[in-house]
Amino acid sequence: MELFRNANFDFLGKKWWFILPSLALISAGVGSIVVQHGLLYGIDFKGGTQTEIRWDGIPPIGNIRSAISAKLQGVTVVAAHGTGSSNEVIVSTALSPQENVVAVRQTIENALSTISTRYSILDFQVIGPQVSEDLRHQAVMATAGASGGMLLYLSYRFRLGYAVAAVLAMGHDAVITIGLFSLLHQEISLTVVAALLTLIGYSMNDTIVVFDRVRENRRAQPRAPLISVINRSINQTLGRTVLTSGLTLLTALSLLLFGGSVLHGFSLVLVIGIVVGTFSSVYIASPILLAWDRRFDGETLAGGLR
Amino acid sequence: MNKTLVRKSLLIVAIALAAALVLLRRPLSLGLDLRGGTSLILRVNVEGTSTDRIREVVEQTRQILESRINAYGVSETSIQLYGSQGNELLVQVPGVSDLSRVKDLLQSRGVLEWYSVEGGPYRSPADAAAEFGGVVPYSDKLVATRPSPSGERMWYVVRSQPVIRGTDLRDARTSVDSTEQPVTTFNLTTDAAKRFQKYTADSIGKRSAIVLDDEILSVPVIEDVIRDSGEIRGAKTVQESQDLAVKLRSGALPASIELMQQHTVEASLGADSMHRGLEAGSAGLVAVVATMLLYYRWAGANATLALALNGLLLLAALSCFGAVLTMPGIAGVVLTIGMAVDSNVLIFERIREELKAGKSVRTALTAGFSKAFATLIDTHVTTVVSCVLLFLFGTPPVKGFATTLVLGLITNLFTSVFVSRVAFDWELAMQGRAARLSLGMSGSAQTS
Repeated sequence: MELFRNANFDFLGKKWWFILPSLALISAGVGSIVVQHGLLYGIDFKGGTQTEIRWDGIPPIGNIRSAISAKLQGVTVVAAHGTGSSNEVIVSTALSPQENVVAVRQTIENALSTISTRYSILDFQVIGPQVSEDLRHQAVMATAGASGGMLLYLSYRFRLGYAVAAVLAMGHDAVITIGLFSLLHQEISLTVVAALLTLIGYSMNDTIVVFDRVRENRRAQPRAPLISVINRSINQTLGRTVLTSGLTLLTALSLLLFGGSVLHGFSLVLVIGIVVGTFSSVYIASPILLAWDRRFDGETLAGGLR
Repeated sequence: MNKTLVRKSLLIVAIALAAALVLLRRPLSLGLDLRGGTSLILRVNVEGTSTDRIREVVEQTRQILESRINAYGVSETSIQLYGSQGNELLVQVPGVSDLSRVKDLLQSRGVLEWYSVEGGPYRSPADAAAEFGGVVPYSDKLVATRPSPSGERMWYVVRSQPVIRGTDLRDARTSVDSTEQPVTTFNLTTDAAKRFQKYTADSIGKRSAIVLDDEILSVPVIEDVIRDSGEIRGAKTVQESQDLAVKLRSGALPASIELMQQHTVEASLGADSMHRGLEAGSAGLVAVVATMLLYYRWAGANATLALALNGLLLLAALSCFGAVLTMPGIAGVVLTIGMAVDSNVLIFERIREELKAGKSVRTALTAGFSKAFATLIDTHVTTVVSCVLLFLFGTPPVKGFATTLVLGLITNLFTSVFVSRVAFDWELAMQGRAARLSLGMSGSAQTS
């Protein structure tokens, strides 16, 4: 079986059909972040407490909210996502500096017991403000460091233009995914960050496969115009791109559908990211490479050679 | 040719067996997020400690906490250094029912002091000061009792200089006295015993205060000369008095401790996540394998073999590194599987291309592998570079992710390039001269 036999699509000629929707997605995402005054951070990043409660019967969310709000600040109560049984709720509260970390759970349990005693606490988490601040700081440092490292390695192995294009495409995927998270009102937790790292890995991988072929084809035909070389390279790697993305998407989808609540955030990022990442190698990274080449390297003989 | 092939195959079998053996002897342990339990992050207050002493203080704290927890009898509890600042400890307690007791054992400093009482009890510090003409004398200080269940405290004025302090203790035990009340008994060092003997002889009939972590536990009247041992009463339960003995025995913490983070996962939720994760993972894997077999025929089986071996090697490598499988770690495994599938697809597509270009089967195989290998090196090294930086700057969970991924990439290069090549070579060797590759291509393209 073969997906594409002698594929010959003009990808770069139709790039705006994909760049424009992508820009629209980015602005929608960024707009939603601005309108909501920042991202919806999980307690990993903002500190506070989070309690997952299994109720015996349908949980009275309104009552739970008012009972706990009377004792603690910044209370949100939502139904736990994804799982089949809707009897689980997640209670999040803020943690004021004076509050005793140890006593919060007791306070919550006391408040709950005024409603019913037929519940059980599945998951309880308290994160102090200092820890979450460190975490935010480290997340930024790690992302910047990893991007810088990849930029250096790729400009060593390819050329600067390739490296910039690949890293920008990767950033594009991350921004779109985070934006979609904001649009879908999903929380950014530590697990989601792990998934973002995974998706960045996939996206980078995808881009490098295309660029590798571009480099190889340029070596073989140094006089061919870059635009046709890129188009041919994308066509040559099309079978692998579609197959690999399809297979990984299949895995991510099965995690999303059957993985339960704990894996929900993780697999949602993967599903979004794989789709976006596949398109970005073709429609974001390659046009940037072309633009860079025209702007800085000219249509020189040596372009892309090393 | 065939001899090297046999040798390579034997090497692969040996490595696979070794990996299986490692996994059998040391199965991968699960993180608390997958099997239930509590993790606590404690910060040791090292403010004011000189930088070169911080390490020592934190390590000493860790050892003391470990001995306290061990005395409590929770098996498999681990206390490790955590975070990048060098003053945080991660305590992992698998499935404990009485968490508040553990927290108390971890958090209280365990500083025991014995003072002579000058006056009291008073209802408030102001009352106490009034008794002494407005100001508590310089040589004395105010100490409060432990709050009663109703939250009330009483205040005593005691001598500033304690008669005995924690470092004077030699041992502490719990017993039950004649009225069935729990008592914590302690022994003093020779030096302290001399001091204590003199003090008690001078102050018969006077009151003294036993103070733990700046709170008065009890105010006994000295009835007799005491030499080298003393008793602490007033514990409400045997358990409480046992915990006190544990704290006294393990010694006082060199610095105070603050609880920064707590995460408790019920065992049922952990098992549920684990179960669902496995189910979803295998569903995804089955779909991937089925597609590969359908699309690449025999080569798909080849890829499946490489994938399975990769999984085995990765798990064994993780177990060698003493890694604990957590959610972020699983993310790393998932990414590895994705990249392993990709490597195979890349190589197979390349071989197909070479075949289409009219090359002979053997040449196409060699060319396909070597060209795809160049790409694989680039994708793998780029990911390793980013992992190294994630490891340098990341938080511990992110470090786990990076470690898993790097190990997975290494095992993947081995399985997808070396193992898969050996499998292809076998396929050709079995067929003899007019060999063809089963790659799911329409038949006419191959020449031998």
